[in-house]
Amino acid sequence: MLKIAGLNVSYGGLHALADVSLEVGEAEFVTIVGPNGAGKTTLLKAIGGGVPPAGGRIEYRGEDIAGRPSHMRARLGIAHVPEGRKVFSSLSVLENLEMGSYRSAARPRRAEGLDSVYGLFPVLRERRAQLAGSLSGGEQQMLAIGRGLMARPDLLLLDEPSQGLGPRIVQIIFEAIAAIRRARRLTILLVEQRVVEALELCDRGYVLETGRVTLVGERDTLLADPRVQRAYLGA
Amino acid sequence: MRRLLPIALVVLVGVALTFTLAERYHHRVLTLVLVWATMGLAWNIISGYAGQTSFGHQAFFGIGAYVTVLLVVTTGLTPWIGMAAGMVAAVVAAVLIGLPTFRLAGIYFALATLAYPLIFRIVMEYLGYQEVPIPMIRDRPAAYMQFRDPRAYDLLALAALGGTLLLSHWIEGSRLGYALRALKANEQAAEAAGVDTFRAKMVAYTLSAAPAAVIGAIYAHAILFVVTPDAVFGVLVIVQTLVVCLVGGVGSKWGPLIGSAIMVPMSETLDATVGDQLPGIQGVVYGAALVLVMLFAPEGIYWRLGALRPARRAVEAPRVSAVAPRIDTTVAGRSPVERGAALLEVRGVSRAFLGLRALDDVSISVRAGEVLGVIGPNGAGKTTLFNVLNGFLLPDAGQVRYRGTPIHGLRPSAICRRGIGRTFQVVRTFPQLTVLDNVMVGAFAHETSPPPARARALAAMAAVGLGRADDVPGALTTLDLRLMELARCLASAPDLILLDEPLAGLARDGVETMAALVRRVRDAGVSVVIIEHTMYAVVQLVDRLIVLDHGRRIAEGRPNDVVRDPAVIEAYLGQRWLRHVEGLRDPC
Amino acid sequence: MSVSDLAQYVVTGLLVGGVYALMSIGLALIFGVMRVVNFAQGDFMMLGMYLTYFLAVVSGVDPLLGALLTIPPFFLVGVGIHRALLVRVTGGGDPQRLMDAQLILTLGLSLIITNGTTMLLTPMPRGIKTAYATQAFAVGPVLLNQARSYAFLLALVLAGVVYVFLTRTDLGKALRAAADDPEAAGYQGIDVRAMHGLAFGVGIALVAAAGGLLATYHPIEPTVAVNFIVLMFVAVVLGGLGSIPGAFAGGLLIGLVQSLTLLVLPFQLQNVGVFITFLLVLYLRPQGLFGQRLRAV
Repeated sequence: MLKIAGLNVSYGGLHALADVSLEVGEAEFVTIVGPNGAGKTTLLKAIGGGVPPAGGRIEYRGEDIAGRPSHMRARLGIAHVPEGRKVFSSLSVLENLEMGSYRSAARPRRAEGLDSVYGLFPVLRERRAQLAGSLSGGEQQMLAIGRGLMARPDLLLLDEPSQGLGPRIVQIIFEAIAAIRRARRLTILLVEQRVVEALELCDRGYVLETGRVTLVGERDTLLADPRVQRAYLGA
Repeated sequence: MRRLLPIALVVLVGVALTFTLAERYHHRVLTLVLVWATMGLAWNIISGYAGQTSFGHQAFFGIGAYVTVLLVVTTGLTPWIGMAAGMVAAVVAAVLIGLPTFRLAGIYFALATLAYPLIFRIVMEYLGYQEVPIPMIRDRPAAYMQFRDPRAYDLLALAALGGTLLLSHWIEGSRLGYALRALKANEQAAEAAGVDTFRAKMVAYTLSAAPAAVIGAIYAHAILFVVTPDAVFGVLVIVQTLVVCLVGGVGSKWGPLIGSAIMVPMSETLDATVGDQLPGIQGVVYGAALVLVMLFAPEGIYWRLGALRPARRAVEAPRVSAVAPRIDTTVAGRSPVERGAALLEVRGVSRAFLGLRALDDVSISVRAGEVLGVIGPNGAGKTTLFNVLNGFLLPDAGQVRYRGTPIHGLRPSAICRRGIGRTFQVVRTFPQLTVLDNVMVGAFAHETSPPPARARALAAMAAVGLGRADDVPGALTTLDLRLMELARCLASAPDLILLDEPLAGLARDGVETMAALVRRVRDAGVSVVIIEHTMYAVVQLVDRLIVLDHGRRIAEGRPNDVVRDPAVIEAYLGQRWLRHVEGLRDPC
Repeated sequence: MSVSDLAQYVVTGLLVGGVYALMSIGLALIFGVMRVVNFAQGDFMMLGMYLTYFLAVVSGVDPLLGALLTIPPFFLVGVGIHRALLVRVTGGGDPQRLMDAQLILTLGLSLIITNGTTMLLTPMPRGIKTAYATQAFAVGPVLLNQARSYAFLLALVLAGVVYVFLTRTDLGKALRAAADDPEAAGYQGIDVRAMHGLAFGVGIALVAAAGGLLATYHPIEPTVAVNFIVLMFVAVVLGGLGSIPGAFAGGLLIGLVQSLTLLVLPFQLQNVGVFITFLLVLYLRPQGLFGQRLRAV
């Protein structure tokens, strides 16, 4: 469904990604891990449309989307749950979710979508009239994921959902992601720093270091590979 | 002296025009060209060089006009002296206005500057000064700045223009000029390099008020004859000023003159020819000029012409010879700290943002002569720590002591001058300055005049192995940019440098160059604290390593020990990984 | 001075404040979504006044209705100007330079509109004569000028319509989302640039309608803009840049301040109270009463 070839991205004058290639098949769950500064977020932003590539192809369902603005990509069925959550703080929880289903393919099934998201994250139903800016970090992450799901996407991009959250919440979030995986026929691309949780969820994984792909493998292979630790700690 | 030649030429041309133009009307146009060019130059000092766009400079123009004329009317004081009084009044006003207003950020500053001339206008109307005619002096009119010969006003305005050109020229080449251009380009980087930005803005503002007041007084006598609040405090004054600067080129001493020479004759001609049938034609022309300039040439004619020269492309810089020049960071009056002694002490520092604890009771000691690495997962608080050390953030609790004295609460520029330098994760350059000028900004932390600053800057550049003094940052590779930033840092003669991800975006050989440089810097007696993610390099480079996670210090020690510390592995890869790895090693 | 005198000042201040509030909402919407301070806002109001005037004089349309009729054409004008001019003044890095550029562009626009109108329609002030402009309702000891009262009510109605739009419709919520976080809004499929055009169009339409309402009791001339643009700025800053309910409250407050200033200062100085409030807000509480945190400044 998603095919990236030879992607080069410069960010603030630095080469964030150099010649990155990866593939995500339909209904596959792919995880990308790697240390800070590896370019993971830049990669997702390049796919979601937040950052323009300097070279390479980004193919979605066969079409090159590298030149399209982010709102066009969203309308094609790509849902990007960004790093740092980026919920609309001055809108209520419900309004955030409604905006998630802004695209015309999702709007008619909004009520259904809300039920489903509330089922996954009951706390959002409780707080649906509250301003999103007043939620805790974990609740905002749930909201951001819920917002992404409301778009009834074909491809879900999750950018470091565990960032800045305590271990218990992270556990809940990852369980929810696993539940999403089980319940829907969704293609998921997850970018994470927490290796084990992220790799356990996936079918296949990539390791990104300083802007390049250094390891690729099936889930079990990567989990057993000590080079993954070296990628993080140099030893 | 040779550099004053263009100014002398301009004055000569002005004199020539004064004596060749025949009609009275042409002289009026010439006077106006000179008046608006001078006003533009005055505005340029604060809004062009320093980038603080003021929509209220007409306040000083009006003060100059009113004070001078009112002194004539009430006390009979000659405007030649009254003008000086007007200048003083304007400078005082600039201080009073600037002190509170420069504390406002960006757009609030622009909006606030709008308010002052409006207030002056209303006050003048209220005080009964809706129309103050300049009294005609019968004998010795020249002593009262009243001339029948229009050429005298041309020369007067020309003198004001010449003086303001000299002032601008002096600023451009002075320490203040560097400070202003740096703060315009990147205020944070300027502060970190030792520029007291608030003070620089205040000085520039007061310097810009004086010529505005002088030319306001001249304008009143040469053109107005009757001073009304709207004529000198009104919006058309700032519009004329904006137009001549924007059209001609902001940030250059020639821009306002070019703009004025083009726009003023055009609009005066229009006004004279069709002004009766089409009242307001001037306003339309000026408005159209502003719109067109903003759409198509926002930098103005002067810079547009300059940009026509082909841009240089990024090329690998020639490396300086193998025998690396000494890194000299001595400063008069500052004694070196003994190697191994505590140089920077962080005690119990905490800092939170909206309830999120970015730093939680962190205590670190940096010893003289070491390279200390700070690592940690994303969001661990590393950059927040640097921002506290550097003065960009105040800690909620705790102390930061440098050489024994507390520094938390000082401005970043003051901290820099005490000896702590800093580089940034994404290199912060001053794009319109040359590489040498960029580095000189750092040198001015301790030098007060350009020649020694230049020498220090060149030495710093040689020490890091960077040539290309005359290039602009846009033409540099990532490695050269980082070298430039480091040189700028070294030029401010630090004892301690904070390097924020200096290896990001570099290829293998760039990483090695930077690492070697860091070691040389340490060997020269400058301590280094470095935030990094490129693990293989950090482990080899640092003497000691500290790990932060969720704002807390979780490990400290020799690099090889730290990266094997279970707490650290857990922080980076998660608790499950630790157990997972142990499970792999121990399959039973 | 008696309570009823004070009440009169307060009521009058609130009545004119209602129209200021409507104008300010337009400015706040534009700033909130686009981060543009539209210097020309007062000039579009002035054009709205003229359009209302011509509808009244040529077609006999009551100015209250005329004010409403200005909405569709000015909406289109706003969208058009956004597409023709404002989209070109787009980034190149520094948000501060960008903001300066937009300020100057709209300042230029303001000059063209004001002076162009002077050129074409002459500076002669005009007025619309209606029956209710000179009559008043008596509520206890307080007199409510009828024109101002009708204008106030209509301003409230229009503000209410905007409120419903922003909080009950998808498009309105998308506008708020685009103002809150443009990057995230793009990820939801919201075309942020189109939202800018929409915001500008609505903002211009609202201020033109406010002009029409104002025309029921205020003389119409090309220079009227400059008096009101400052009031609008102050109202928006007082309410908090980017907050629409804030701008509404700010407008009402400014009407009050202006009116109450007359208790101590003569008529020519009535705006001094407003300017002083402006400066006080900027120094003491720049984010205003309901302000959002200002991004990227």
